[in-house]
Amino acid sequence: MMGRVGRALIVHEFLERTRDRWVLVISVLFALLASAVGLYGRSAEAEVSKLTGPSLVTLASLLVPLVALVLSHDAIVGERERNTLGLLLSLPVGRLEVVIAKLIGRGLALAVALGLGAAMLVSDPAGLQALLALTGPTLLLGLAFLSIGLLISTLTRRQITASSLVVVVWFGLVFFYDLGLLGLLVVSDGGVGQETISWLVIGNPAGLYRVQMMNAFAGPEVLSDLGLQAGLPGATTTWLLWGGWLVVPALLSGALLSRRKVV
Amino acid sequence: MMRAFEVRDLTVHFGEVCALDDMRFALTSGQATMLVGPNGAGKSTLIKVLLGLVRPDSAVFEADGARIAIDRQWKEHIGYLPEAVAFSENLSGRQLLRFFARARGVERSRVDAVLERIGLTHARSRAIRGYSRGMRQRLGLGVAILSAPDLLVLDEPTAGLDQEGLGVLWSVIDEWRAAGRMVIASTHDLALMERRVDEICVLRAGRVLAHGTADELRRNAQIPHRVQFEVENAPEARIELLCAAMTKWGKGRIERRGHRIQVEVGPDEILELMQIQAGFPGVVHGLRVEEPTLDVVYDKLLGAA
Repeated sequence: MMGRVGRALIVHEFLERTRDRWVLVISVLFALLASAVGLYGRSAEAEVSKLTGPSLVTLASLLVPLVALVLSHDAIVGERERNTLGLLLSLPVGRLEVVIAKLIGRGLALAVALGLGAAMLVSDPAGLQALLALTGPTLLLGLAFLSIGLLISTLTRRQITASSLVVVVWFGLVFFYDLGLLGLLVVSDGGVGQETISWLVIGNPAGLYRVQMMNAFAGPEVLSDLGLQAGLPGATTTWLLWGGWLVVPALLSGALLSRRKVV
Repeated sequence: MMRAFEVRDLTVHFGEVCALDDMRFALTSGQATMLVGPNGAGKSTLIKVLLGLVRPDSAVFEADGARIAIDRQWKEHIGYLPEAVAFSENLSGRQLLRFFARARGVERSRVDAVLERIGLTHARSRAIRGYSRGMRQRLGLGVAILSAPDLLVLDEPTAGLDQEGLGVLWSVIDEWRAAGRMVIASTHDLALMERRVDEICVLRAGRVLAHGTADELRRNAQIPHRVQFEVENAPEARIELLCAAMTKWGKGRIERRGHRIQVEVGPDEILELMQIQAGFPGVVHGLRVEEPTLDVVYDKLLGAA
């Protein structure tokens, strides 16, 4: 249960993040790109307009993790460098509660940032349909990366290290992870089972998001064509995976902060 | 309101390093205490222990004679000004104080009163990025006093403050003492803080080296006071006689500097010296007694340890 300090911190984090110029820049960029995808879908032939949804998925799977990592990478280490972490923890609040409040507050800011992009599509019926299907999982994707960013922020001692690390994590999970799996398939010459590959794909939040969205927009047959269908989990497992990505890094972050002898 | 706080058997190790070694420390209602010591003496660690930011290996905490833990309930009684604090630059001073007011469960109306108290009413809506260093420090002080805590913990409170800011700080310390609350301040600025505190605690290598009022520390340090006699218009023969009498007395180091006689004596010998000069009426036209600065006392304490 969130106490008085935790509730205040949620509001504070939300207000502070929505005033961060980098977050604003990235949000506007996302909004413009989303808008461009929507406009292209509207102006194109019927066949092409069906690509609006998948195009938005690709865009979101690239940009949302970046926005989330930018939003969260300084959550703890930034406070430490500004000498405000001690002040924050001198308030009557638990350390895990601080981490959770930061996750929620920054998650709300992320929702606003994504909402800005989404608002650009509302006027387009096809875009609106795609938007409705996109909203939940996209927010989950963002929250998962927020949680990862928080963990990085707790693990590092300097903000510059955290910044570098989130870039590495973003490239790793969003770009190189899939390439690595492809490499694994090539090297093993098909020796790695389809089910294992499917689990490895969805073991990455970006992969889980893409698969879930492909399933929603293009149908299960597309996944079968890609050889992923056989190992895809049911809805419960999918939500559990999302839950895991959301909760585990945040809990680890809270545990690490709580275990520290000195702040 | 908490009237007394004491910590005993306080030991903190960071790996092989002993940051605080079986320390005993007490604070009394209505008193301001200054923590001084070289870097690594344990000042910051002691403050962090009080704030619950460092977990001690062993310690006994007592408030008003009852054992307590450094928990959330304890933290309700503390206000903290960190050293060189740099608040988020995206918010205004008022927004920042409103956050801490919500977090501390303080009435929103108190925010404007505190802004007035720290002299930042004119800048309340301005983003903190536009604040000078001194204004940020004053804002930090505002955060610390927002909930009118029983114990005010100040880490290097004078850093970056201009004369106006220092005035605010002194008045806050005086207000806390007058209200029967407690203040503890860690500082390297002995000369500036000396007259604003009741007790001085000198730390070294995780232990309390000396503790007492500034006068007690001076007395215990046995550092000579400098007494200067102005003898400008007196006949040279009379001056010579006075010097000879002082030399014969033999308890101070006497030096003649033009129209001035300078004697370095222990604090307990000053009265005797005055009696000697009283035996030579008309010779001395002016008198100045310089007590050693606290910096000198501090250096001697650390040198002797």
